[in-house]
Formats: sequence, C-alpha cells, structure tokens
Amino acid sequence: MLANFLLGAQVALRPDALLMTLLGVAWGILGGALPGISGSIAMALLLPFTFGMDPAVALMMLAGVYVGAMYGGSITAVLISTPGTPGSAITVVDGYALHQRGESGKALGVSLVTGTVGGIAGVCILVAFAIPLSRVALLFGPPEYFAFGVFGLALISSFVGRDLVKGGISAVLGLMLATVGTDPFSGTPRFTFGSVDLVGGVAVAAGMIGLFAVSEIFYQVAEGVDWERVRGRYATKLPSLRELWRLRVATLIGIVFGTIEGLLPGGGGAIASFMAYNEAKRWSKHPEEFGRGSLEGVAAPETANNVVTATALIPLLTFGIPGSNSAAILLAGMMLHGLQPGPALFERTPQVVYGLFVGLLVANLFMLGLGLLAVRPSIALVNVRRPFLLAGILGLVLVGAYSIKNSMVEVWVVLATGAVGYLMRRYGYNVLAMVLGFVLGFMVEANLRRSLLISLGDPWVFFTRPISAVLLALAVLTFLWPLLRRARETRRAALAG
Amino acid sequence: MRRADVVAATVLLAVAALYYQQSFFVVRGFATDRLGPTFVPRLLAGALAVLALTLLARALGGRSDPTPPPAARIEVLLTILALLVGYAVVMPKLGFLLATPGFLAAVLAALGIREPLAVVGAAVGMTAILYLAFGRLLGVLLPTSPFGRV
Repeated sequence: MLANFLLGAQVALRPDALLMTLLGVAWGILGGALPGISGSIAMALLLPFTFGMDPAVALMMLAGVYVGAMYGGSITAVLISTPGTPGSAITVVDGYALHQRGESGKALGVSLVTGTVGGIAGVCILVAFAIPLSRVALLFGPPEYFAFGVFGLALISSFVGRDLVKGGISAVLGLMLATVGTDPFSGTPRFTFGSVDLVGGVAVAAGMIGLFAVSEIFYQVAEGVDWERVRGRYATKLPSLRELWRLRVATLIGIVFGTIEGLLPGGGGAIASFMAYNEAKRWSKHPEEFGRGSLEGVAAPETANNVVTATALIPLLTFGIPGSNSAAILLAGMMLHGLQPGPALFERTPQVVYGLFVGLLVANLFMLGLGLLAVRPSIALVNVRRPFLLAGILGLVLVGAYSIKNSMVEVWVVLATGAVGYLMRRYGYNVLAMVLGFVLGFMVEANLRRSLLISLGDPWVFFTRPISAVLLALAVLTFLWPLLRRARETRRAALAG
Repeated sequence: MRRADVVAATVLLAVAALYYQQSFFVVRGFATDRLGPTFVPRLLAGALAVLALTLLARALGGRSDPTPPPAARIEVLLTILALLVGYAVVMPKLGFLLATPGFLAAVLAALGIREPLAVVGAAVGMTAILYLAFGRLLGVLLPTSPFGRV
C-alpha cells in the first residue's frame, strides 16, 4: 500500500495537479457559498474542462470542488443562515447563533478547522479500510436504510424542546412536503395539483433556503431588531488553540457518524451531521449551550459533513455506487476518462486511485488555507448597514432558488416556505424538525415500501435482521432519552420548589 | 398562545383534510407495491389531524402559552412580501436585468434607506454582481426581457 501511496503522491504533488486542485477548491468554495449552486452542480460545470487532462489530475480537480463546496456551504450557513447543503442545515443553529453574538470568526474558524480534520480523517479511513468497509456497506438493504432513516427522525425529540406537539406538527409538515412529486414506485405524480414543475418534487435546497434564510429575513424585518445596534459588530477573531482542543470529543463523534453515513449510498451527509450534533450535545459538559451558540454544536456536524466527502468514495470506488450527487459526478468523471470503478481499479490504475487519495488530502489543506483567507472578506460583506445586507441576501437567495432548476417554481417554494418558517418561529414551532422530516421523508417511505415488497408484506423483516433491529432499538432510545431526562428534571424542580 | 393555537389548529386540520382528500386523486399504477402511493400520505394526514386536535384541546383547556404581541414592523414585512410576490410575477416577463434593480431599490426604500444615490447604486451594483456570478460565471439561464438579452 505504501508503494501505491507514494506512486499517488508523485502524481498528486506535480505542479499542474496542485494548481488544478487549488482551482477546484476555490471554485468549490465559491459554488458552495452561492445558494442553489450545490457542490454537485459546481462539479458538473467543471466536468467539460477535464476532458483533455490526465485522469488522475481531472479527478483531483473534481474532488477539490467537492471538498471546497462543503466549506462554502458552511460560510452561508453561519453568516446568513442559509445552508449550502442538507448536511450543513444543523450548522445554522449554533453557527448563526454565534454570528449573531458577534463571534463570526470563531464560528467560521471552528467550521474550517474541524472540517479539515474531518476531511483528512475521512481520507485516512478511506485509504486504510476502503475494501473491508465496503463489505459493511453490502450488509445494508432496504430494511436497514428504513431503520437508519427512522433513527434520524427520532432525533426530533431532542430538537423540539419542551413542546412535543408543535415539534411533531413541524416534523409531519416536513414529511408531507417530501411526498410531493413522483411516487418512487408507481411513477405517478402525487400532490402536484396538476403542475408539471412539481412532478420532480420540491427541491430540498429551495425548502431550506426558505425555511432558514427567508424566514430569518422576515423575522428581522418584522420583529423590530435594532439594526444600528448590530451593525459592524461581527468580529473576525478566530478560535484559539485551547478552544479547538476542547472540541476534540465533538470532532471524534463527527468522524464516527461521517464514516457510517459515507458508506451508505444516498446518505449525503445530512443524517450524519444531525446525529453527530445530537450525540455531541449528549456527551458535552455544556449541553445547555447547544442552540445558543455552542462551538461544539458547529464542530460535530461540520466534521461529519467533511468525513462524508471522503468516505462516500468507498462505495463509489469499490462498487461503482455513488454515495451522493457529488460522488455521482465524480463517477461520471471517471467514466469519461475510461475508468471503471471496482476492486480492479485499485490494481490496474493505482496511480489514479492513490493520486485521488493524496489529492483529497491536499485539497483539504488548500481548503484550510483558502478558507482562512476568506474569513475576513466574508465577514466584511455582512458588516454593512442592515437594510443593504437584507436586500442583498434577498437578491442572492431568489436568484439562487431560480438557479436550482432554472425555474420560477423554486422561487415560489422559497417564498412560501419562508412565510411558513416565519410563522413557525413566531408561534413556537420547530423549523429544524420540519427540515429533518423533509430531508428524510423520501428515504424513509421508499425503503419502508421496498422492504415490505421484498418481504412479501411481512413487517417482521425490520426486526429479524440484526442491523435493522439494533437501529430501530436505538431510534426508540434516542426518541425517549430527552423526554425522560426532561421529565426527571421537571420532577426534581417540583420536589425542590 | 391560546388564540394563536386555536387558529393554527384549525388551519392544520384543514391542511390535513385537503391533503387526505388529494390522496384520492393519486392514480395507483399497475407497477406498484403492497402499500401503494397513498398509504404514507394518509398516515401523515391522520397524524397531523391528531396533533392538531391535541393542540386545539390544549388551547381550549387553557394550557397554552399566551399569544405573543403583534410584530413591531408588520407593515414593513407586508410591503416586502408584496414586493417579493410582484417580483416573482414580473421577473420572468421583464427579464432578470430589468426587474431586479427595481425590486432591490423598492426593498431598500421599504427598509428605510432614504438616500436616492445609495438606493440606486446598491440596487444596480447588486444586480450586476448577481448577474456576473450566476449568469456569466456559472452559466445559469436567467430570464431575458422581451427586448432580447437584456
């Protein structure tokens, strides 16, 4: 393996390869920071430019975009409450809270450093365990995916706070939104109200832009926030080494969940980041800070997100199954250059595979460098007079929504979900629960039905398969744990009072 | 939040009923599974109805939090909403480059910016940056006006 790694390093450390990786990362950060332009779109736009390149360099450039886009999405999540990917949705909670407190540099710095650590850890796991871990991925069938999705949904109980009824309503609304579009089995349209534009479903990116960014703008406009008071207060100060060291547990949790989700094709980082956040909160010495600007609340999901950029390549390289949209574009890039994914790829073209591995390491380091350079200008952009900032964000998110499918339907979705999100925030509902339901709804329904189809309608299929049974048991525990803890605290308070 | 919860529960019950009723218009194709395309939606409609009824019972039983005071700048929010709806209607017809500066200038004016030069300069500048980033750099096909590429 060491010989192959050195062979890969020879390719990846060539000046042309380094330059292309750097350009890829820069392009990825820009694409990720623009709402509506996901990492996969940014990669797809670069794909034609890779035709004439050495295959290893082409893949490194595309992987650079993939890595950069993940951080780009976090910049907007922290600074303007607009997650670039479903995986950075949970980053908004504490990242944006830190930004509102004026600690923007710390939030961005933690996202960047823990993201880099996650990315590098992901590559190490990819290099060392790609083949054995790929066998684990094979153990996951539809019942396991269903159970994994239910596990993700069970996190709602820890996000909704004291009002479980309103949290439940929020989650059900998100699940209902996920049913709009073509049915995954029969192919018939559902709840499209005759609109051809809704046949493809409601874009997750549009829903998130509306629920997070537009609802926040409406909130600031309507609720009498003193704009002059908040002007220019966003500091660029980065986190200290001591602060970063305190995040080691949250970072480790992110690595574990990012590794698990990366193995599962179709995961994409959302469940991993939500789970990592939840576990980081449970293991934290200061769980009460979560939701109010906790650095651990930024570190755990950002690490998980970035681990997925590497571990999603395990099913891609070993079986040719892309674990996310971005991995699918990478697969397209491989096929354009005549590379066939599978175990033989490691033997026949080690310079390409190991070049990609080293390229990913280099891309993460470039991300750290470029990200540090981007912190000050990014914060300077939001330190302007509030009306100019709000108008700029509105323009950005509207054109971003339009660019998702080059269609006005997404703009209307953004406006509608923005209005709903504002009302939810005002009257004590939970936007995050709605997003979680929306992101996981399709996966849970499709795998529930697929499982029952395979088992000829026998629901015991979920309990007789060990992984599925364990995941469902964990889901029950995850759901009940915060409720029991809250009940115990209430009882203690009642006894004390 | 008593009154707000009663209104919300009523609206949510209506949403659940509409969603349930719409599930009858979903065509069950030949190639489908045991549960079919309407099982999960009807389950969700039922869950929403139960939760909305719980919310209603809680509000009527006086166990809800008090309704929050009205928003401080609700008229500004309504103006911004009207501008957004107007922009979404007009932009595909007028084109991105003609509709966007007007929309952004109106938003800035609604948010209290009174210096005409600052309003016009910012609106035109933001439009130019968005056009260059999305239309030129990323190749997004932004709506064009009836007069051509503008």
